[in-house]
Amino acid sequence: MIETDFIEIGNNDGLDDNRDQDELSESSPSHQAVDESDSSEDEVSPRNTIGEVPLEWYKDEKHIGYDIAGKKITKKERRDKLDSFLASADDSKIWRKIYDEYNDEEVELTKEETKLIHRLLKGKAPHAEFDPYAPYVDWFKWDDAKHPLSNAPEPKRRFIPSKWESKKVVEYVRAIRKGLIKFDQPKEEPHFYLLWGDDSSSADRTKHLAYIPPPKPKLPGHEESYNPSLEYIPTQEEINSYQLMYEEDRPKFIPKRFTSFRSIPAYENAIKDSFERCLDLYLCPRARKKRINIDPESLKPKLPSRKDLRPYPVTCYLEYRGHEGAVLSISVEPSGQWIASGSKDGTVRIWEVETGRCLRVWDIGEAVQHVAWNPLSELPILAVSAGPDVLILNTGFGNEEEQKKVKELLHIGTPTSSDDSDDMSSFLSWVQDEKHDCIRLRHYRTVSSIEWHRKGDYLSTVMPAGESRAILIHQLSKKLTQKLPFKLHGLPVSSVFHPTRSIFFVATKKIVRVYDLLKQKLIKKLETHLREVSSIAVHPTGDNVIVGSKEGKLCWFDMDLSTKPYKTLKCHPKDITNVAFHRSYPLFASCSDDCTAYVFHGMVYADLNQNPLIVPLEILRGHTSSDGRGVLDCKFHPRQPWLFTAGADSSVKLYCH
Amino acid sequence: MEIDRETNEDNSRRIQVRFLTKLKAPYKVPTTAIAIPSDLSRFGLSSIVNKLLQAVDSEWKTEPFDFLINGELVRMSLEQFLLAKGISAEKILEIEYIVAVAPRKEEEPSLHDDWVSAVDGSSPWFILTGCYDGLGRVWKGAGWCTHILEGHSGPISSVSIINSEGAGSATVATASKDQTLRLWKFDAEDSSDHPARIRAFKILRGHNASIHSVAAKTSGDLVCSGSWDCTINLWRTNDSDTDGDVVTIKKRKVKNKAEESQSEGEAVSTLVGHTQCVSCVVWPQHETIYSASWDHSVRRWDVETGKDLSDIFCGKVLNCIDIGGEGSALIAAGGSDPILRIWDPRKPGTSAPVFQFSSHSSWISACKWLNRSSFHLLSSSYDGKVMLWDLRTAWPLAIIDTHKDKVLCADWWKGDSVVSGGVDALLQISSDICIQ
Repeated sequence: MIETDFIEIGNNDGLDDNRDQDELSESSPSHQAVDESDSSEDEVSPRNTIGEVPLEWYKDEKHIGYDIAGKKITKKERRDKLDSFLASADDSKIWRKIYDEYNDEEVELTKEETKLIHRLLKGKAPHAEFDPYAPYVDWFKWDDAKHPLSNAPEPKRRFIPSKWESKKVVEYVRAIRKGLIKFDQPKEEPHFYLLWGDDSSSADRTKHLAYIPPPKPKLPGHEESYNPSLEYIPTQEEINSYQLMYEEDRPKFIPKRFTSFRSIPAYENAIKDSFERCLDLYLCPRARKKRINIDPESLKPKLPSRKDLRPYPVTCYLEYRGHEGAVLSISVEPSGQWIASGSKDGTVRIWEVETGRCLRVWDIGEAVQHVAWNPLSELPILAVSAGPDVLILNTGFGNEEEQKKVKELLHIGTPTSSDDSDDMSSFLSWVQDEKHDCIRLRHYRTVSSIEWHRKGDYLSTVMPAGESRAILIHQLSKKLTQKLPFKLHGLPVSSVFHPTRSIFFVATKKIVRVYDLLKQKLIKKLETHLREVSSIAVHPTGDNVIVGSKEGKLCWFDMDLSTKPYKTLKCHPKDITNVAFHRSYPLFASCSDDCTAYVFHGMVYADLNQNPLIVPLEILRGHTSSDGRGVLDCKFHPRQPWLFTAGADSSVKLYCH
Repeated sequence: MEIDRETNEDNSRRIQVRFLTKLKAPYKVPTTAIAIPSDLSRFGLSSIVNKLLQAVDSEWKTEPFDFLINGELVRMSLEQFLLAKGISAEKILEIEYIVAVAPRKEEEPSLHDDWVSAVDGSSPWFILTGCYDGLGRVWKGAGWCTHILEGHSGPISSVSIINSEGAGSATVATASKDQTLRLWKFDAEDSSDHPARIRAFKILRGHNASIHSVAAKTSGDLVCSGSWDCTINLWRTNDSDTDGDVVTIKKRKVKNKAEESQSEGEAVSTLVGHTQCVSCVVWPQHETIYSASWDHSVRRWDVETGKDLSDIFCGKVLNCIDIGGEGSALIAAGGSDPILRIWDPRKPGTSAPVFQFSSHSSWISACKWLNRSSFHLLSSSYDGKVMLWDLRTAWPLAIIDTHKDKVLCADWWKGDSVVSGGVDALLQISSDICIQ
């Protein structure tokens, strides 16, 4: 009935389909009869060939796919609900029919198939022929075996979870939670590797011992042949000349000629070579040489450009000529209008800075070791050391009132030293000098350096050979002399007052000692590690000290930082004769017997965390050497970035910015 | 022309030029265009002009000329000049010629006893010099000293002629390193062979350090002085009869032994602001003082209020300053380096110098503008040279190197001479400089 309906409604294709289906349904029982396969699906290949694609794709198409010949399989006309209901009511076999979406057809189940389903539903084996309770046939025969693999019944413990294991697990869990046990992080395997990279570097990556390939021996050439051409064979003269060569230069192998292979003798050095090889392996194990590829330029500290650090002294424009001997010392008047110079020819001269005119000359009669202006500009007096004497000269500058004051100060009424009960009088005396109208302080040993206190009243003198009285402090207003209340170790070289506080620096040959004059105790010992200190200068803020040495080294001490040098600058090939700080500009300088003066930028920051910045700026040349001595003194102008240098060539030079 | 034929053997390029001049009759050449080789320099051009003049006047004596193209002096070969300035060589080039600015005569040096530290040539009748021996001297001409100004106990650092009406009486001021200024009066007519020794009529005390510079107001009733004590003081120059008499009477009692009456003056006002030595002051206009200092600044002061109106910082110590040039507004200053700098304060928003002349090789000790020209100035330096400059070229017009040592001071005199003094204790007068 239905099928006829189909025929009526469907077109020719549909008709063919039905026929196919008929054929299939006819053939299927025969197939099933042939072999006992589990499913009939395997044999009945699906009519549709679209494969496992979602059927939705064909939802809007007229066909549902293609048959094996590639033709379109047209969809059947969809019956409406009423028709299908009527059809199902009429058809008694409707319960056996299933709609196959894939092939768009209805399949009628056979009786065997329904039975199979019934058995499945009941939970039995689907095939009726299968017997689940068939007698057991053992594949392995135990009959004549002496020992069974195990005859014992399975012990109970095999079936019970282990108590100790669970305890151990709990223990581990706790340890993990507490973080006592840490798991190794899963190693991150590099996703990519350099396919064509160098093998040696990949060997580095592995943690094995690095394989070091032995050096490749030279490949044998013609001359190593047992029968080389004649031109490779050395003549007898050449062989003789080898004997004259050094053993290292001698050729290791001398080509020889053999007519046949069998006439080659045994290698005479075989044992020696293998012995040497063993020695090599034992004594000179090959090691991988790590070559560091660093640009040496990048290791240099980054310093600011010299251009940014201007102004600093560069060129010499003015010269102060007139001395007849080496100028040993210079000193700049605190306002910067005049400089004083003391020379080996026994004169002290005062020069006008801007024109280079010599304004005054004093003939002391003895080589002038040191000159020092009083730091007060209203007290124009000059301290001069010559031999064992220290003279305090009145320069005659300043207006009348100032001159009056100076004259009062430099006048000694009654010999004050006589009424002093201490033993100082035998070592030192204050004498009025009539010739130069000044005070003469007569020491008992040669005075090498003088230093004024910033207030202009105290004056310290250094006598290197003075033993316990090597450093004396004189008070000008009271005409009194004290010796330093500290025991000195070693020969004192120079002494400096702290620019702001009552601290006193004494440089001996190796060590700079820092004393507090108020508390009368040693504060610090600066260890220079130099052979012989020659000069010392204190930064105007007072926390930094530079020390010049006779081996040409300059040490910068940051006293807040350490008692060891913050920086040691090895710049001069000869003795450093003096070092100086600028009062206001961040400059310092050193001068040396190599006839040069070096100018440095030395910035000290208010921030304590920042280290001082030291930049070498300029080498000032111009002086000529005389008696092996070069530049003997250098001083900065107090207000301008200018440097005065005094040379052994009896000239004083001014270097301007 | 004749010259063309003489020089056209070489294969160099030729330029059509026409010589023009603003000079008077004997210097005029025909204004026809002529072709000259392009590799001629100033000397070649000058000889051409001289030959042209000779063609007109057979008695003509050769004279060096300078040449201006588009307002710039030619200081290289013509070809290079045209290339550098991008001037076309095709059309006729107009070259203006002027008589070269160079001293033609060196007068006998006037001998001093010590270094000559200051010179003033602002009066056409005499030259005033200051010397390190503490004496001021008045010179009528080369080697002819008429007056010696006696009284300073220290070297004179600066001199200034306050006023000199006619050839008659003159008032001058001297500043010294003995911390005083002295004012002097003398009759400039006086022309005896023996120099007359005169004493100051007024001593001005008030500075606390040596005085470096003195300058007089144009009207002559005030002088200002710059000193090492960082201040500029203003002083009255008039005689004791007006306001200084209180002081005068007191001092007369003390110094009644002095034959001549010497009055003392005190500073009228003090200009404070510089932080270091005031090395030079000039008073070019009625109410404005310019000062240069070692604190690297040039300041302009208003005299009435005593305030400083503007600063120029140069970075170097300044030793000398002068105002002049175009509209009397350019500031020329030199100092502790060999560069003579010129600023234009009218240029807004910049303190960079408009001109820098750097042919000297040491400190510059003096610079002076020529009054009647807006281009010419001179500078003297510690390298022993006095150089004449024209703003229209970067090279010096003339170099006077008659001094054997540092030149400490220099000035123009009578508009056609340069007077300079130095460490060799000589006052050199280089005269006969022709400046139009």
